[in-house]
Amino acid sequence: MNVYEVFLKKAGKEEFRHAGSLEAADDELALVLARETYARRAEGDQMWLVERRHIVVADEDYVAPNADKPHRHNDGVRVAERRRAGSDRA
Amino acid sequence: MGRSWGSVAEFEGFLDAGGIVEPVDAMPDEYRQHVFRFIELHANSELMGGLTERDWIPKAPGLRRKLAVLAKTQDEIGHAHLLYMVAADLGVKTRVEMLEDLFANRGRFHNVFHYQAVTWADQVAIAYLVDAAALISQQAVFKNCSYGPYKRILRRIVAEEGFHMRHGEEMLLVFAEGTAVQREMFQAALDRWWWPTLHMFGPPSKPDDALLRWHIKSERNEDLRDKWVQKYATLLTGYGFVPPDPDLRRDPESGRWVTGEIDWAPLKATFANLGPDSARRVADAARHWNETRWVREALESVARRAA
Repeated sequence: MNVYEVFLKKAGKEEFRHAGSLEAADDELALVLARETYARRAEGDQMWLVERRHIVVADEDYVAPNADKPHRHNDGVRVAERRRAGSDRA
Repeated sequence: MGRSWGSVAEFEGFLDAGGIVEPVDAMPDEYRQHVFRFIELHANSELMGGLTERDWIPKAPGLRRKLAVLAKTQDEIGHAHLLYMVAADLGVKTRVEMLEDLFANRGRFHNVFHYQAVTWADQVAIAYLVDAAALISQQAVFKNCSYGPYKRILRRIVAEEGFHMRHGEEMLLVFAEGTAVQREMFQAALDRWWWPTLHMFGPPSKPDDALLRWHIKSERNEDLRDKWVQKYATLLTGYGFVPPDPDLRRDPESGRWVTGEIDWAPLKATFANLGPDSARRVADAARHWNETRWVREALESVARRAA
């Protein structure tokens, strides 16, 4: 048996979202089980099934360091100060 | 991969700050065991509840109700499926091991599924009272549970339990507005199900309850029970039914309902699978498991061919 991860998407601008997982013998049976388990009340109209063993998982230590690169953001503080100073003068 | 903590105290600090644990994290083993047992109990209860519900599909009065009970059965079995997947990912037991333990009478499930539903009114009492109790407990877990996969999967389970409750109250209306015989029928069912429903929340939580300390549950058993009593004592008496508790009264000052003393012996019997209907229910579930063995074997041969 294989473990599959189930993703659902509603029409429109929403992205695919992880709904949960299931165990099935093959892709066709996984689709049947996914529809009956995760979309009984039309929770989505598009569905992706991915075998869990095919998901590439990144290490958190690899992903997380990008949180400490402030040069990739701009907090807008300097511009805001200048604007405030400008409106005080007016 | 996943996070780890230097000590249990550090882990508890993470939980107290609202941290959410994921299956890849190196969680303390005791936490893993507690979460696992809690989810396994929930999964078993959904499955046993679904199987009882199924017994009532042919007996439900009218096509519309048969369809509703059919859908509800599918929901409960579906919930069991979702929960067994989440529990299996904790790596304590596989999905099949949990099922085999349950059918070999080594598993546990909620007390209310250790009693027999005698008439259709019992089934309605279960839908109206027991499902509401389950919903109150699950909502409390869903709001604040520290184990991510369980919290996420509860979102859909809680939504569907909401449908069941509305269905239950609609069916109750038929009895409440019905003939004297119908009203007596529901009263008799209420007499059977009132106390088991109060028991369902469990004995008062201990001060050092690990489930509370680790934010697996967020509210004490007695508080959840009280929430249910306040709402359902009002609704039931409003429909003219009488809960079978001679000491049930409204506190004259606060206006809140106060129940009589709860006898915990029947609940303790269900913990050991020694409730009035435990043996029949487990044997019935085991029989289905054995009768469907050929389906699982056929599926496994498909999986082997696909590999």
